[in-house]
Amino acid sequence: MSVPELVTVSVDGREVQVPKGTGLVETALAAGIEIPVFCYEPRLGPAIGACRMCLVEVEGMPPKPQAACTLTAQDGMVVKTALTSQLARNAQNATLEFILVNHPLDCPVCDKGGECPLQDLTFRFGPGRTRMTFPKRTFDKPIPISPTISLDRERCILCYRCTRFSESVAEDGELVAVNRGAQSMIATFEDEPYRGRFSGNVTELCPVGALLPTTYRFEARPWEIQTVPTVCGLCPVGCNVNVTTREGKVKRVLSRNHPDVDGGWICDKGRFAFGHLGARDRIVDPLRRQRRRGLQPAGWDEAVDEAERLLRAAQGRIVTALSGSETVEQAYGLAKLMRTGLGAHTAVLPEEISDAVDGFRLPLSAIAGAELIVVVGDDPVEERAPIVDLWLRAARRNGAEVVTTGVGGGAKACRQLAGEDDELGRRLRESDRPVLIWSGSGGAGGAHVAACAERLGFGSKPDSGVFYLPLTPNGRGVVEAWSAASDDEGPDPDPIGLLFVSGDEAASDPSVRSLAERADAVIATTMFQGSAVGWADLVLPGTSYLERDGTFVNLEGRLQRLRRAVVPPTPDELAWISQLAGRFGVEVSPYPSVVFGELSERIFGGLPYGEVGERAALRGREPTGELRAPAPAATPKGRGLRLVRYRPLFSGAAVERVPELAFQRPAAEVQLSPQDARRLRIKAGDEVDVRSNGTSRRLRARIDKGLVAGVARIADEHAEELQATVEVARA
Amino acid sequence: MPISEILLAGASERDLTKLEEYHMVGGYAQLARARELEPAAILAELDASNLRGRGGAFFATGKKAGFMPRDSPRPKYLTVNADESEPGTFKDREIMLRVPHRVIEGSLITAHAIEARHVFIYIRGEYLTEFEVLRAALDEAREAELLGGVTLVLHRGAGAYICGEETGLLESLEGKRGQPRAKPPYPAITGLYGAPTLINNVETMATVPKIMELGGEEYAKLGTPDSTGTRVFSLSGNVVRGGNYELPNGTTLRELIYDIGGGVPDGRELKAIIPGGSSVQILTADQVDTPLSYDAMREAGSSVGSGAIIVIDDRACIVQLGLRVAQFYMHESCGKCTPCREGTRWMVQLLNRIEDGDAEEDELDLLLDVCDRILGHCLCPLGDAAAMPIASYVDKFRDEFREHVRAGRCPYGGESSLERVFAPVDQHRGHPTVEVAT
Ligand SMILES: Cc1cc2nc3c(=O)[nH]c(=O)nc-3n(C[C@H](O)[C@H](O)[C@H](O)COP(=O)(O)O)c2cc1C
Ligand code: SF4
Ligand code: SF4
Ligand code: FES
Repeated sequence: MSVPELVTVSVDGREVQVPKGTGLVETALAAGIEIPVFCYEPRLGPAIGACRMCLVEVEGMPPKPQAACTLTAQDGMVVKTALTSQLARNAQNATLEFILVNHPLDCPVCDKGGECPLQDLTFRFGPGRTRMTFPKRTFDKPIPISPTISLDRERCILCYRCTRFSESVAEDGELVAVNRGAQSMIATFEDEPYRGRFSGNVTELCPVGALLPTTYRFEARPWEIQTVPTVCGLCPVGCNVNVTTREGKVKRVLSRNHPDVDGGWICDKGRFAFGHLGARDRIVDPLRRQRRRGLQPAGWDEAVDEAERLLRAAQGRIVTALSGSETVEQAYGLAKLMRTGLGAHTAVLPEEISDAVDGFRLPLSAIAGAELIVVVGDDPVEERAPIVDLWLRAARRNGAEVVTTGVGGGAKACRQLAGEDDELGRRLRESDRPVLIWSGSGGAGGAHVAACAERLGFGSKPDSGVFYLPLTPNGRGVVEAWSAASDDEGPDPDPIGLLFVSGDEAASDPSVRSLAERADAVIATTMFQGSAVGWADLVLPGTSYLERDGTFVNLEGRLQRLRRAVVPPTPDELAWISQLAGRFGVEVSPYPSVVFGELSERIFGGLPYGEVGERAALRGREPTGELRAPAPAATPKGRGLRLVRYRPLFSGAAVERVPELAFQRPAAEVQLSPQDARRLRIKAGDEVDVRSNGTSRRLRARIDKGLVAGVARIADEHAEELQATVEVARA
Repeated sequence: MPISEILLAGASERDLTKLEEYHMVGGYAQLARARELEPAAILAELDASNLRGRGGAFFATGKKAGFMPRDSPRPKYLTVNADESEPGTFKDREIMLRVPHRVIEGSLITAHAIEARHVFIYIRGEYLTEFEVLRAALDEAREAELLGGVTLVLHRGAGAYICGEETGLLESLEGKRGQPRAKPPYPAITGLYGAPTLINNVETMATVPKIMELGGEEYAKLGTPDSTGTRVFSLSGNVVRGGNYELPNGTTLRELIYDIGGGVPDGRELKAIIPGGSSVQILTADQVDTPLSYDAMREAGSSVGSGAIIVIDDRACIVQLGLRVAQFYMHESCGKCTPCREGTRWMVQLLNRIEDGDAEEDELDLLLDVCDRILGHCLCPLGDAAAMPIASYVDKFRDEFREHVRAGRCPYGGESSLERVFAPVDQHRGHPTVEVAT
């Protein structure tokens, strides 16, 4: 690594040394001086110099104010901001006057009021009174550009942050500027709803109250709210977020930039799904099955007694079905109860988890700097781990090549890559910064890609990386916690005396349901009536990641801190796990910090709870010994196409309970490769029948160039009962 | 007054749109010669000629070409600016209509000088005939294998003044919204599709073959030392013989307007002159002896701009002129940067009020202040181009503005020659537009 040359810049008489090429806005900041900006936002790409808020005087340049945001530090540069330059002061005042000539006097009713950069900068740099005596430009307002976002064009100051996000970060191109000059306005392409997976980010980028989350409209004032820093618990990325609460209710979720994890972006699921906390079918009291009367509300004491009774009755023949969304502490507490208290070592998770990829650990942000990236596996990356898709897009913009391969046969693709004469494999071998990503099921928790990477020589390249995108947000942490609780093992119980279902995801997993059919009794802990109530003997209310304290391990293997944003309407899981554990002579603290302390001694190197940090660090690479790819699962034989199901981003118990997100649910489509479509004479948009023995679904065809021939990809909720091999024909 | 034709040379006697005829006046001989030369030698000729860009910014052409990197891992591009939209300017169309091959030859010589293999000519959308003439010439040149492996693409614009601004042009050429880019990076480093790009005006390009023919030094003897050579001046307004005239730089306004243009018609008085397109400051009648050269015009407080001379006589209301000009800029402001987008609209509102006689005296100062606050604050020169002329109208014709305020109406009482010659504000019919209250 070359050391960047340092240059000395004087800002308002203060000298600072910064690496050459540092932006002038950052340079001034290093000198402790703020240059006000609106349009400048380095995460959106090169500066565009549109708003003219950042005008400063630079000695030796033409005698007019210069846009600081488009300049970089050069040695000997002498910069004067509004603090010391009349020229700059006038210029900034002029910019604000111009912005305000058509800005409505909405502040008293504007949700941005009190946390609005335009307000703040007007107070500091703007004119105190208006000289505008003409009617202001008016528009219809607010306009819903989607069910989650409202646009107020009168308030818009046309800084183009939102359109730049859409064009060059999310690359959805859905948000655009139309018309020109004073008639310019922000609009969605062809007036379609803004349907991008990351659309909500524009509400944070907007420096005024023009783009606002509809769910936050008239909900709170900045002085009435509390901000809780935590991480999102809806996918394995674990974006860092700030949760805004007011009077014990979650009002919105904002990003909290962790540059290595999320770069300050979150997806719309993470942003808007918090509405599930108040779902109508939320369970707040334990439910106990009573003869002939079905499930009836029960008090907590009664519920814990009943749980104890059921656990004892099973005599150790217990299977625990985990969701992968438990906190590390919760999973550990449960494991201690089951394993050391009851000798019940069998747990099932919705997916395989392997630590093989930890030998090739890299921060997610490193993807943006990669050279060659190969994605294998069945699922579109953005459906599994949306932010990873943004990192991939950034990589592509930075010149990386991103290859998607092996849909419908990832294990085979991995073997092929690692083979001697594979062209792509050869290039991976030769690249200094190669990245392999497994997105989808069947990857043996990453063991396949890790073995492939090993054979491709990633081990000796510090800038190479392997990522496995799990299905569950904390599957990794849950597995680590479960295995840390005991070294003993036991046989899988048969028959099953008791099935303990932990969480809504496990409860809605069909394989867990079939286990339930074989179990004598079922205890389920779920948030929602819909999930398990029908077939459990005892239901203990569950809580959401927004209501819990503890830690999560994301897909990189990064341990992150979850903070309770709001108090759940029911004791949290750890509280009753602790109580129940006591009945079996097992000590589990009800306090996550204490549980973590115990666990940390075992597996996190004694890291104190308080030091997990707001911007959690990533552990180093953890070599896992010799890597061998497991035998690939058998591919089903038969005529027709192999059905690949995926779980869409906008699905799951939380999303299903948020009406504002209904428009984001996946369309009833089947994705086909161009080759198959041609062969079957199917065009994009055609109605097709997808059949497998006995069942048939009518879906719309979508042609996806990323798919290989021989595969039909359908979202879980539309695939329903379809079998592994399907026939597709025009309806 | 001799009309000295350099870049229109031969076009009066022959139909130079035909390759055959163009060959007869030595057409493409300079290209053949240039291709024998090292690129640096051509740049040296350009430097010696002191040719300055004819698009309006007057930047030294050789120097700008010299900014292009010698070695570039990416392709290099030459882009010829044929978007000609500055009000009063119609010389590029004449050049394209009459000497299209000279435009092509000059472009190919310049492409060779910067070692570019790709040339784009961005032509104003409304110039359909010009496009067709140029296309026919290009077909002939291609047929005759004169392109020498260079791809030359004609690209038609879609009706935006801002797409004549060099970086707005590049954006538009890339298929994006025509809005200027922040500089740096300059196009010579990061231009079209992120690759080094040289942008030159049509007239600049059409001059190049003659410079090669005469030699840079010889060419520099024409015109004045600071403004060498000839230019095609577009003469319009209240003048007997409006039209395009190729003259040496340094010709005075008087020579152009009176000796060549036949003076002001109908026995009216000359009131003012716009010497370089609508973007420049106005001159009063007593400045009519100012030479059309860079330095002299600067001294007179204006600029030769795009070489468009608009003659204004005493029939025209200056407030109406200001309104007309301001409306143009409001309409053409791309909307990217704040001062221009908001300021041009505010200017129009104020000028409307003044013209209607509803303004107070201090609103004249407010108008000047609005201009002042646009000036030097914008992303591209369009904002300045709106503010400078309007401010100059108020400065130089303050009494006429004041008269509107005092009388509570336009003193011309509906008799001004510019009466109702206003731009329709909503020219985007059929597209989602917003009412702009003015
Ligand atoms: C708003 C605006 C409009 C312009 N329109 C034109 C135009 O129509 N034709 C042109 O040649 N140059 C135009 N220019 C100047 C170009 O930006 C650029 O300076 C010129 O094309 C360079 O060529 P030259 O060096 O040969 O003059 C315009 C500039 C601005 C700011
Ligand atoms: S809506 Fe907001 S972010 Fe978008 S251009 Fe307007 S002010 Fe900027
Ligand atoms: S000065 Fe006007 S035309 Fe130029 S960038 Fe700004 S808004 Fe666009
Ligand atoms: S912040 Fe520099 S122009 Fe907007």
